Amino acid sequence: MRESPAAVLSLEKVRVAFGGRPVLSDISFEVAAGEFLCVVGPSGCGKTTLIRMLAGLLAPTAGSIVFGGRPLAGTSRDRAIIFQDYTKALLPWRTVAGNIALSLEAGGIAEPERGRRVEALLAKMQLAHAAVQYPGQLSGGMQQRVQIARCLAQQPKLLLMDEPFGALDAITRQTLQDEIARLVAEERTTVVFITHDLEEAIYLGDRVIVLQSNPGRIAEMIAVKIPRPRSQLETREDRRFLEHRHRLFGLLQDAEG
Amino acid sequence: MKRILRGAVLPVLVFALWEAGSRAGLLPMDTFSRPSDIVLAFAAGVSDGSIPLATWLTAQAALVGFAIAAVAGILVGVILGLSPFLERTVGPSIEALRPVPAIALTPLTLLLFGFGLRMEAAVVAFACVWPVLIVTVAAVRGIEPRLLEVAQALELAFPARLRKIILPAALGRIVVGLRVAVSISLIVAVTVEIVMNPRGLGYGMIIAQQSLQPALMYAQLLWLGLLGWGLNALLTRAFGQWHGAFGPGVSP
Repeated sequence: MRESPAAVLSLEKVRVAFGGRPVLSDISFEVAAGEFLCVVGPSGCGKTTLIRMLAGLLAPTAGSIVFGGRPLAGTSRDRAIIFQDYTKALLPWRTVAGNIALSLEAGGIAEPERGRRVEALLAKMQLAHAAVQYPGQLSGGMQQRVQIARCLAQQPKLLLMDEPFGALDAITRQTLQDEIARLVAEERTTVVFITHDLEEAIYLGDRVIVLQSNPGRIAEMIAVKIPRPRSQLETREDRRFLEHRHRLFGLLQDAEG
Repeated sequence: MKRILRGAVLPVLVFALWEAGSRAGLLPMDTFSRPSDIVLAFAAGVSDGSIPLATWLTAQAALVGFAIAAVAGILVGVILGLSPFLERTVGPSIEALRPVPAIALTPLTLLLFGFGLRMEAAVVAFACVWPVLIVTVAAVRGIEPRLLEVAQALELAFPARLRKIILPAALGRIVVGLRVAVSISLIVAVTVEIVMNPRGLGYGMIIAQQSLQPALMYAQLLWLGLLGWGLNALLTRAFGQWHGAFGPGVSP
């Protein structure tokens, strides 16, 4: 193991096969504490399989995953996962506040502490005005905020995000990108963020991993040395941003083929 | 209100024609009592307490049977819905039992329980359990897998998972089975009373018919129809909110 002391998560020669068909092969990387790692790749490259595995919803066929010094096995409340399909991931019969409270209930946090924490999260995610509404009454962006709030309520050591903004419009997406970047910086949360949007990956990530398909494997890993806080306008015009974009864009084109 | 009034037009018209036809001598009195006589018979039955008592006895058997079926059906349905293995094991037996007409069990339940509430409720429960059971299995199986993953990711223990995720997610569809079961419960209770059990409205109708009181028989028949309608309206109201509560485009 070449695990450095600061690594929270490390994967070593991980392979996943479904019925003999390899989906991910020879995946090795480390994530440092507080790091924002983005994984980008074309559809069908095993991105979602990777994040589900990190959430513990799926076991690797071979290889080892170490999280917090212990082999990762099964789900755990210190790893939160934000799904892309927020409409399916929220409980339609619970209000916004009730949905957030769910993870606190799961963590055994009783009233009145639970209520206080829900209040704080509602304020943090700018959902206070929608506290008593049901998910079905909210816009997509608002629903995704609720899911993010529910995951933050877990106070996870590792936040896993599976194309969380993929279904949102461009403006909502940018707003939420900046918010999530700010929130995880405040909480010093470690993040693994899956996306198919290269610019999003560079904009958010401290590092970006590019996956190739058939089977999914790591094509490239780059460090994004653009200082934070980043800005939607300036960062995207930054010389380094454009350089990364050029380089990885070509890789993704290759990966597609 | 307007819809109720509009819905009342046809029955009122039928009764008016019936009354007129009867007074004009077009309808034989011994089979088609006059609506006015039916009302009088109903009033007499209510005032001497026989109809309220019969109603109570029938409703009691229907509700006890329904309650047993609801609890058993949901319980077993959730278990079978969660475990494909058990479903495959028990499923064939269920399919074999289900087509048995509930009324055919009347002689058996009579042997087991004798006349009275228990035998009637048992037959009602047997008839009602199937729609609840089958709908519950399908409802649990149809729960959005993402919700179960959320429960798994939050490490909800099974009782909490059942209470906070599985039951609420399945309830919208289970209610459909419950509504079917409620209407069956009344039908089966009355049928058991007509066939064998000497109590309730079904038995009251048989007695009225045999003692040549067709007006009283009609009174109880119409009253039964009204009861069934009221029961269904009550249930629609109680559970209808469940469907509409979560905003547009969402069905739990």
